[in-house]
This record gives sequence, structure tokens and C-alpha cells, in this order.
Amino acid sequence: MKRAAVFAAAGALALALLPMVAPAYYATLMIPFFGYAIALLGFNLLFGYTGLLSFGHAMFLAVGAYGSALLAGVFGCKSFELVLLGVVCIGMAAALPIGFLCVRHTGIFFGMLTLAFGMLFYSFLFKFYHLTGGDSGMRIPRMDILGLELAQYSKIELLAGPFYYYCLALLIITALLMWRIVHSPFGLHLRAVRDNARKAEYLGVHVHRLRLAAFVISAAFGAAGGAILGFRIGLADPELVYWTHSGQLVFMTVLGGFSNFFGPIVGALAFTLLQDQLQSLTQYWRFILGATLAVVVIGFPAGIAGVLDLWPRFSARVKA
Amino acid sequence: MSAFANILIGGVFHAAVLFLVAAGLQLVFGVQKIINLACGSFYALGAYFGVTFIAYATQFGLSPWLIFPGLVVAGLLLAVVGPPIERMLRSVYGRDESFQLLLTFALVLMFQDVFRFVWGANPRSLDNAYLIYGTINTRDFGVPVYNLLVIAAAITTAATLGALLTRTNFGRIVRATAENRAMAEALGVDVRRIYSVVFTLGAALGTTAGALIVPTAAASLNMAIEFVVEAFAVVVIGGLGSMRGALVGSLIVGLMRAFAIVLYPEFEVLAIYVVVIAVLLLRPAGLFGKPVA
Amino acid sequence: MAAILGAGESMSVLLETRRLSKNFGEFRALDDVSIAVSAGELVSIIGPNGAGKTTLVNLLTGLLRPTAGEVLFMGRSIAGMGPVTLADHGLARSFQLIAVFPQLTVEDTIATALISRQGKRWHLLSRLASDEDIAARAREVAKMFGLAERLATAAAALSQGEKKLLDVASAFALNPQVILLDEPTSGVSTADKHTIMQILLAAGRQAGVKAIVLVEHDMDLVAAYSSRIVALSAGKMLADLPPRQFFSDAQLIAAVVGKQRQH
Repeated sequence: MKRAAVFAAAGALALALLPMVAPAYYATLMIPFFGYAIALLGFNLLFGYTGLLSFGHAMFLAVGAYGSALLAGVFGCKSFELVLLGVVCIGMAAALPIGFLCVRHTGIFFGMLTLAFGMLFYSFLFKFYHLTGGDSGMRIPRMDILGLELAQYSKIELLAGPFYYYCLALLIITALLMWRIVHSPFGLHLRAVRDNARKAEYLGVHVHRLRLAAFVISAAFGAAGGAILGFRIGLADPELVYWTHSGQLVFMTVLGGFSNFFGPIVGALAFTLLQDQLQSLTQYWRFILGATLAVVVIGFPAGIAGVLDLWPRFSARVKA
Repeated sequence: MSAFANILIGGVFHAAVLFLVAAGLQLVFGVQKIINLACGSFYALGAYFGVTFIAYATQFGLSPWLIFPGLVVAGLLLAVVGPPIERMLRSVYGRDESFQLLLTFALVLMFQDVFRFVWGANPRSLDNAYLIYGTINTRDFGVPVYNLLVIAAAITTAATLGALLTRTNFGRIVRATAENRAMAEALGVDVRRIYSVVFTLGAALGTTAGALIVPTAAASLNMAIEFVVEAFAVVVIGGLGSMRGALVGSLIVGLMRAFAIVLYPEFEVLAIYVVVIAVLLLRPAGLFGKPVA
Repeated sequence: MAAILGAGESMSVLLETRRLSKNFGEFRALDDVSIAVSAGELVSIIGPNGAGKTTLVNLLTGLLRPTAGEVLFMGRSIAGMGPVTLADHGLARSFQLIAVFPQLTVEDTIATALISRQGKRWHLLSRLASDEDIAARAREVAKMFGLAERLATAAAALSQGEKKLLDVASAFALNPQVILLDEPTSGVSTADKHTIMQILLAAGRQAGVKAIVLVEHDMDLVAAYSSRIVALSAGKMLADLPPRQFFSDAQLIAAVVGKQRQH
């Protein structure tokens, strides 16, 4: 417990110092990192802790982005906090029926179902293009944070300054929340379901309800992350929910290490930085990313967290 | 009536191409229990290579009439990518499904840039070269002969695969390995070789399908990623691991798509996913798959 | 050895089957079996492999639905009750093939049962590590089963015997009224078998278990600890007798065990 606290504190400190020592470019680059980190904390609750691999998780990020566009753009809500709350509720509401249908299955079928729902959402975005702008997406206007308009900041200054720290705070809060959840009795039951669902049932665990709960919670985190992504880009785009974006989420999680609480955060960071560096080096950055993923899957299934032997591993022995 | 027939032929043509890729997917899943997300990449590879191959061949005097066999050859030549990729996938055979999926996803990413590197970002096509074969014109509608050739090729492939799997020793060995790898190995089957051969066969089916499509459509970067979704729909509807499922599933998806494009364009993609979800929920094994525990 | 578990109360029937049958397609796994387990009893189910013992246990614990007949727990039919409901009502089981949570520690495994028992399933925000009730009880249960040294070991790293014990221990942690144990001593050396049985009985008393149903192959154990023996063969019940009567019937033994018991 102590080591985790030290590691987290060091990480938070490093992140806090970043805008002061690095150019604004990097600070703005980190905003999507915050969004993905929060979304992946939720995703890994489903994957690492409950053992369900969703290939459609990006749909909740899209809910966050499109929800922001709807609440802030269409309904004119200026408060980011309210929008955040709103998209989290929408995400959870959407996750209930979808999750209810999906968690009756596991393994490949769960993956296929979630992929199908994700693509269904994708095609909805195109079908209802009057509402959603189809290919062009929906605009997400700038919102007030903590009630402050901060009009004196340009978008870039806002992103590299106040909004950066705002997101850092959000990440810390959501991480604390997730930490509590996974270390609760509920969290233990999730891991029991992951390891042996039948035995878990016989020990009084409501397997389906639990999986559904994990699904809904992960959707909430996903929507929150999506709202941050949307704020940064200023646009909600259908590509957000394409199956390859869901694949990217899995990539980031495995890259960081799905058997470790901080793995997803590390993975989001590594991916963001790696992608940025690669893009400036070569136009064939996708190839290198793909090769990296292959290397991780084949050689380092425990991800970066495993390589660095980061503590805490929430399983006594890493499962590949 | 003519419009209906046109749509029908178009749908069957698309189904033929889908079937070739789906058959490859089913083979690989049936034996190695891997869902190959890179099937779309094989398809695109075949398409791109087909364009280049024919372009070069025509320069060296290939008669335009030989485009069809030429493309088949091009597709089959690409089977060489099978063994090395299978070798790479070998490291995740025993492991969690998630890792297998992820490795094939890594392949998708890598292939995207391979395409970009070799063929550039713009689509490549053979400029409607299929027209060389002319069309069969009846009173009501016209059918491009090329489409019929492809459909015939798919039917031949289906029949050959069927015979291969049910009537030959090789086929028996493949089915035995698919059923129970450990036992097959204990009985002296070189399982590794079987895996390699099956995967290569699956790859060849995918690349050939892609090659065959280029006279009628362009090879593009998006192809690889978009096709996966349709192929996956076929496999779900037909049932994982089933050849009959690949056949029936391709027809269903191909025809649905053809009719939807014309009649309800906005519903086109929607309809397929709704059907996929319905199948997964009501009958996860699909039409011909093994029942799910 | 009538009142094994010191029930000290009236012999009420806790778990019973009435004309229970189960078919798997054409195959009749269980045919018209009626047994009743009352408070204070340890009922052993014996029979050759394929006789239907595990099928019976699966039916008794709601994993399978009967083709005919019914299963009653505390007087109520269990049809439609899932394992979780049954666990809440006081019916627990262990498994023939070892069922553990590979990545969870011994303490975690027992805690899983305790969380259900103590109604803390939906506590999302409380710290499990600081829950003294659960920690203390988990230590107690582990100690009873000789796993106190292994509290922090992941289940996958335990020996086969220890895994078996963990499976059984976690079932006992539910404080069930009736517990079904499917070959709890298989894979354990003969010397340890009696130790295990003693542990099971002590654990049962401590946890307030009122009746035990045991599927066993070892006739010495069965003879020593059962209040009643139910013998199955090819899906049919051949006998339902106290040990003394059972073992004095040579024909019966031959039919079930396949050889004369050595005295």
C-alpha cells in the first residue's frame, strides 16, 4: 500500500510539474492522455479485474464526446461539471441495456457482441446525420470550468494551463475512486468471477449482476474520458467509435499492463508519447505501433508495469 | 424486374467474394481457434497486389482477356505470406483469447502502413477492366460476365474445399486436429505443419478474393478495416467454424447489403449489425455453428 | 454414530429428493432416487464411477434440472433457485474437480464467501483490507483447515491437497445448514484422509452445519463416519442403510464395491 502511494504521488507530482518545464505543446498533448487514462481505468475494471474483453468500449468515449456536443452545443450548458455529470449519466443509462444483453456471454462472444454494438452506434451516427452531423461530426464548444469562463486564455493557453490541472485533478479523483472500488468487497467478488465464475456462484456471488455493474461503471469512466477528449478536440467525430479505436483502447491497456492498477494509466501515457514521437519521426508510425503491440503480446504480456515490476499487482501471479 | 435481377446478381457477386474470405476465416478458426482480425488486411493485400500484378503483366504483353486467371494467380502467389505470419501467431496459440485477438490486431496496424509504403495513400484500381469480358444482355437486364466468372470461382472453391475436407486424407486429418489437437498429435499428426498449411490456405483464400475484386472496385486503405466488419458478420450469422455457415452467411450478408444499398441506403450498415446482434443474442452458435455451452 | 454433528434437536429433514431422475439425451444418469437427509446426519453417497453420484450432487445443488421428480431443501422445492439463492438459504458444496480462484489468495478466497455471508456484496467503497470481521473469520477458517500458513499464497501456487482443502474451507465459510462435499479426500494420502475428515467434522460443528452429504470412494472413511450410506449403481439406488447394516450385507457390498470387504 505504501509503495503504491509513493508511486502515485511521484507520478502526480511529475505530471503537475510538466507544464512548467515543458513547452505548451506537450501540455496540450497530455490532455488526451488524461481522457484516455480515466477511460482506461474504467475499461480495465471490466478487462483486468472482471475478465471481460470489450471490443466496443470506444462507444462510451463517443457518448462522452457526443453527449458534450449535445449538452453544451445544442442545449447550451456552459458548465463543464454539469456536462461531465450529464454524459456520465447518459453513458451509464446506455450501458444498462447493452450490458444486460452482453454480459450473458463471455470470451469471444462478449467481444463480438460489444464490437457489433459499437459498430451499430457508429452507423446510427451516420443514419441520424441531421442530429449528429454524420461524417462531419458535432461541434463541442468551449465550456466553463469550475464556473470560470477564463476568456482571457486562448484555447491553447487554456489547455496548457488551467484545464491541464483541472484534468490532472480529475484523474486523481477518479483514480482514488477506482482504487476504492477495486479494493472493496465488490472488487474482490469481481476478481472471483474472473477466475472461476461457477465456483463464485456457489460462494454466493451474483455473477451476471456483478458483470453488469462492472460494465456500467466502466461506461461511466469511459464517458468522462470522452468528455475530456471532446473538450480538447472541440469536435465529436464518428471515428471515435470505430472498432479500431476500441482496439486502440485494448492496446493501451495491455501495453501498460492489465494486471496492475496503474497499468492503464501507464499505458495511456506510453501510447500518447510514443504515438507523438513516432509521428514526428516517420509517416509509418502505425507500423511501429503495431510491431510494439506484437512484441508486447508475444514477449511482455504483463506490459510495461510488468517489465518495471511495478507494484501493486492485484494478482499474486500474473496471468497471460 | 430488371432492377431486382441486377441487385440480385450484384448481391451474389459480393457474397461470392465474402465467401472466399469467410471460408478462410472459418478454416483458421476451426483448426487453430483464432479469430483473424487481419483477414481484411489479407483481402486488401490481394487487391493491391492484383492491381500491380496485372499492370505489370499487361506491360509485358498479357492479353486483357487473361485478367481473370491472372488475378487468381496473383492472389495465390500471395500465399507466401501465410507461413511467416502463422509462425508469429504460433506464440499465442495456447494463450488467452484476448492475446490472440490483439496479435491479429497488431497485424492490422502493421499492414496498414505496409500498404501505405508500397502503394501510397490513394486508391488503386484497374479502371473497370472487368468490362473486357462484356456483359450478357437479356431483354430486361445485363450481367457483367466477369461477375459470373467470380461467382463460378467461388462455387468451385466451395465444392473443392468441401471435397478436400470430407473426402481426402488431408481433410480428415484437418478435421481431426480441429476436433481434438492433443489426440491428433498423439496419433502422429504433425500438428504444426497442419496449422501452417491451414493458415496459408486461409490467407490464400483471402488474398485471392481481394485480387478478384479489383477490376470492379478500387483497392484502398480503408478496405482492410471495413471488410473485417462484414466478414465478421458472415461468420457470426453462419456460425463460427462452419463452412456451410460461411456459404449461407455470405449469401445473407451479400444480398442484404445489395438490397439495402438500393432500397434503404441509411439502413444498409445498420441492418447487418442488427442481424448480427440478434443472432449473437438468440442463437450465439449462428446457423450452423456448434452450440455454445 | 447417529448424531454426528451434535444437532441435539429433532430429526427434521433438511434436504430430500423425491423420485428424482435425470436423463442426458438417451442416457439415464439417475433413475427414481429418493433420499432424505436430516439434521445431525452425515450421509455418504457411494458407488462405482459413472453410477450417478456427481449427477446427484449437481441436482441437489441446483446446477442441473431434474428430468423427473423434485429436490426439496428445507421443505421447499429448489426448482428455479440458482446457486446464489441456495447459498443464501444455507446450502453449500465443494467440487470433485478442484475449483479455486487461481489468482486469489487463500485469504481472498475465504473472504469471497464471507462477503456473501455478511451481506457486503454491494459495498463498493469500503476497504476490504480494514474489515476486521472478515479478516478475523478468514484467519479462523484457514486455521481450522490447516491453511493458516498459506493465507497470502495464491491458490494456483498451492498443492493439490491444499487446493482441495481451500475449496472445502470456502464452502464452510458460508456457514451453511447443509454442505455437500464431492470427494473431499481424493488425491490425499491415506494417512491424511482421517485427519481431513476430523477437520471437516470439527469445521462443521464450528460453522453450525447441521448435515453433511459426502460423496466418497474410500470405504474405510465411509464406514467410520457415516450415519447412513446411500449406494448408487448405474443411476439406481441400491441401498439406503446405516453402516452396520450395510457392511453386513455381503451381496450388497459386492454389487457396489466389487469385492468383499476385508475384516
